[in-house]
Amino acid sequence: MSSVVVEDLSMTYRVPVRQAGLMSALRSVVRRRYRDVHAVRDASFRISSGEVVGFVGPNGAGKTTTMKIMSGLLYPTAGEVRVLGFTPWQRRTPFLKQIALVRGSQPTGGSQELTLLDALQYQRVLYEVPAADFRRNLDELCELLELGPLLERQLRALSLGEKMRAGLALSLSYRPKVLFLDEPTLGLDVSAATTIRRFLASYATQTGATILLTSHYMADVEATCRRLMLIDHGSVRYDGPLGQLSARLSPYKLVRISAADATKEVLAEIAEVVSTSGMSWTLRVARADVARVTSVLLATFEVADLAVEEPTLEDVIDRAYRDGV
Amino acid sequence: MTRRLRRLVLLRIRNQFLDWSGAWWFTVTLVASEAVGPLLGLVVWSAVLPGDPAVAGYFVALVAVQLLTASYENHTFSEAIYEGKISHDLLRPQPVIVAPIGENVAIRIWLGIFGLPLTLVTALAVGVSYDWTALAAAVPVLVGAAVLRFLWTWLLALAAFWTGRVHALVTLGGMMVFLLGGGAAPVWQLPDAWQPVVGALPFYAMLGLPADVATGSVHGSALAVAYLVQLAWSAAFAGVAVVAWRAGVRRFTAVGA
Repeated sequence: MSSVVVEDLSMTYRVPVRQAGLMSALRSVVRRRYRDVHAVRDASFRISSGEVVGFVGPNGAGKTTTMKIMSGLLYPTAGEVRVLGFTPWQRRTPFLKQIALVRGSQPTGGSQELTLLDALQYQRVLYEVPAADFRRNLDELCELLELGPLLERQLRALSLGEKMRAGLALSLSYRPKVLFLDEPTLGLDVSAATTIRRFLASYATQTGATILLTSHYMADVEATCRRLMLIDHGSVRYDGPLGQLSARLSPYKLVRISAADATKEVLAEIAEVVSTSGMSWTLRVARADVARVTSVLLATFEVADLAVEEPTLEDVIDRAYRDGV
Repeated sequence: MTRRLRRLVLLRIRNQFLDWSGAWWFTVTLVASEAVGPLLGLVVWSAVLPGDPAVAGYFVALVAVQLLTASYENHTFSEAIYEGKISHDLLRPQPVIVAPIGENVAIRIWLGIFGLPLTLVTALAVGVSYDWTALAAAVPVLVGAAVLRFLWTWLLALAAFWTGRVHALVTLGGMMVFLLGGGAAPVWQLPDAWQPVVGALPFYAMLGLPADVATGSVHGSALAVAYLVQLAWSAAFAGVAVVAWRAGVRRFTAVGA
């Protein structure tokens, strides 16, 4: 069963434009000109209950706009969206009680002078969570997110990483069925980001929640998602298993060799040299050419080590952003 | 109001009260800025009409009215729109109006805590006294004034959905309350021809009316009419605010946070 259904979704912003200069400024007072910005174009996808999906794309690709539409903050120009059977932008109370949007740029909303425990208690009343369930949820969240030392501290006094943990706890205290995460590790250090990733993976497994995650950090996606959607210029360019992304989007593999007698000139005649470090070389080789190139390398040099690897997710996506999918 | 909604409003007031407790010193500056107008009025009009006990009684009562009806939705609600923080409230399973109501009442409680002792000291210093029955009659009018002024300021603050210059608009609105509501001059000191016009406008019902009721100068049938005027303007502002809110949210959700 699908928790999220998106069909032919489009969102176009109308933004005012004018040329530089005084005359243009004066002219714009009486006659404003606008330009349409297509943030999302005919996007269609479905997300099953319990699925954890990574939603990636370059800046301005339309990820956050799509997520805002699905959470009910924006209404689209065209298309249909159903989340848990509801039309999000109608923001019906039963819908709002079952979803959460957590934004890395604004992890905690509301009164910042409140302690985290006060804010959590407010959530309990707001979402009408029975006291026993709330206590159990809170205990779990405290353990998974290491919240104990934060409960009696005011939200405004928390560090960025602590705020993100607090924001997750506030959003998950009522056990939403669908969770929209917009860059949850934005600006966090390695340790804080790892804690969040570990928590998300664990939360998804334990609760069976449907999660849609946007992030610029591929480590977030690799740690939590099996399915990945790649969006660019408002359109979904890839939607499939994370593991098949390289094969689908990247027409090459990386061949790493260690050979004392290898030289750049000779290697360049065999394949594209990507990098070098001491006697180790990394070559980019077309998938169909891998067998031929490895046998040439073995025949040409005294090879101490040779490995054929898929390019990293980061490389694949970077290339997809630059070259198009 | 349903039980749940009442509970949410009270909880929000509590939260905002706690929120503002961290800035009590700022609240003191707000008390000073709210009280200075009526206190200046007291000084100026006491010089213009020396020995008139109604003047002192009116302006001292006006200090309390000013404090307990103060509204800052352009600084609270509008800023939440500008900073995109209203998104959090839009996604909560409660009417968004709960948030500005909660913050408005919480701020007024803080202003009362610091400002009402100042009012009492001023009353003792200038030697004014009030009739208890008049003070009791002033309470519902004061509540009505508080509601009306909140609706007026919130309505103007909603302009933040369309313009980045909402402060200018709300300042203009505040100026109209001051000039036409009995802040610059008691309404009974205006020319006779102006008094019924000003009395029928919403601004007097927001500010001068509770002070006049407290001093006993408005009572009987005039008080009943004043209640009705206050009620009618509250209903009108609430209706317009609902329309503006719906249009504003539609615009916000079309343009994005």
